[in-house]
Amino acid sequence: MGRFFTFIGEVSSFGLKALVGAFRPPFEWEFFMIQIQEIGWRSLPLILSAGFALGVVLSMHTRGTLVQFGAEALIPSLQSASFFNELGPLITALLVAGRVGAGIGAGIANMRVTEQIDAIESLSVDSFKMLVVTRIVACILILPMLTLFMDFASMAGGFLAEYFASHISLQLYLDRAFKTVEWANFIPPTLKTSVFGLIIATVSGYFGYTTDEGSEGVQRAATNSVVLSSLLIILTDVVLVKAIFFLFPRNAV
Amino acid sequence: MSDPAAVEFQHVFKTFGDRKVLDDVSFKVNEGEALCIMGRSGTGKSTSLRLMIGLLKPDSGRVCIGSEDIVHSSEEDLSRVRRHMGFLFQSAALLDSFTLEDNLALPLRRLDKSKSPAEIKRAVDETLERVGLDLDIAKMPSELSGGMRKRAGLARALVLHPKLLLVDEPSSGLDRITASEIDDLLLKVKKEYCSTLVIVTHDVRGARRVGDRIAVLDQGRLIGLGTAAELDKSDHEIVRQLISES
Repeated sequence: MGRFFTFIGEVSSFGLKALVGAFRPPFEWEFFMIQIQEIGWRSLPLILSAGFALGVVLSMHTRGTLVQFGAEALIPSLQSASFFNELGPLITALLVAGRVGAGIGAGIANMRVTEQIDAIESLSVDSFKMLVVTRIVACILILPMLTLFMDFASMAGGFLAEYFASHISLQLYLDRAFKTVEWANFIPPTLKTSVFGLIIATVSGYFGYTTDEGSEGVQRAATNSVVLSSLLIILTDVVLVKAIFFLFPRNAV
Repeated sequence: MSDPAAVEFQHVFKTFGDRKVLDDVSFKVNEGEALCIMGRSGTGKSTSLRLMIGLLKPDSGRVCIGSEDIVHSSEEDLSRVRRHMGFLFQSAALLDSFTLEDNLALPLRRLDKSKSPAEIKRAVDETLERVGLDLDIAKMPSELSGGMRKRAGLARALVLHPKLLLVDEPSSGLDRITASEIDDLLLKVKKEYCSTLVIVTHDVRGARRVGDRIAVLDQGRLIGLGTAAELDKSDHEIVRQLISES
């Protein structure tokens, strides 16, 4: 148990150091832009296809139940409420944890093992800022944007499923979907993914940057990054949902 | 008063956990000299190089580069000293997400901010041509063979025209012919750049060919220092064994 708390302390101080470093010059713009592309742009196909497929599946599942009660008109609003409030942010974070978390953990660990980090340090460049801070800031900024893409891809999937089932028009679908959506139950859940981004990049960066076990360490860093960041995302989500309900009580109704 | 040595270790001690890696090691490397450091694995050879470039700090003792004690110098001073140093890592340590051109441009962008992009490009082209990789400028490190990667690592170490070049196991993982080509390049660098070289190696033939002197480390202690001919007559059995070509 003592080791667990030591570990949590180390990861927290690692993340805190990165957040402080993000506001101190010199800023690694070039590496930051590379991370934006790597984490954001390259995750987009996965996010869009997963969102679309989940939208179709959720729509098919809910239709079967709601039709029995004559409430199929509620399908679009159920779809938007589910995705904007919870499914979109959580699934985006878990997908990014799998794709990017493993990449960050293994990538930085590999750089440690192959002396690339030493090579960077030998040029008097702060490798922590170059490799860790840029990834953490990129993840914090990119996650909410990816969540928006997930939300809208799922709406597109949901509409398509509904169109084939009931020939609903796009205008009517959107009207029903967004009738119950308010800024308060759209903005906070989307922004909470910044915290998930912080978790993914901090945990993965920590495992990668601190590895010292050769190629086995690279493999372990990749696995640990995905497992622990996924677990922490789900646990943190409970706290964040509670906090959102506290700050925006109407969301809880 | 005599000129300071290019590198000087004064009573350097270094431990990792319980393991004593360097135990009261003192030696000097003169300007323009090539010193090869030899010894069995885990005797502190690579650690010595890392101490010279400030990647590690000794537990006690002084490490001087020219007249600068880098153990107690600030980050700014260390950065100024590193401007005149190059390091060829054992694995070449090219940044694998960068092309060869960007790998070579990185030291120029970071340590020599006076250069314009055109000057950086020219310096990169010239250095790659010197090591015979001018046609591979746009390649990623993963597209290079072991020998090419080593030459690319050497090019990155040379791009700042260093006065002191640190080389970690230049022949490791290479066949005899490629290793000999790397030795040729090192000799060329020494002659053309008038650089001081410190080379960690297990390759006796290469050490005898490139090194003006050889230092032998064993269990963290310096047990031999001199020319190959002097060490051939050493009283120390391990020294004779380590530098024996047979």
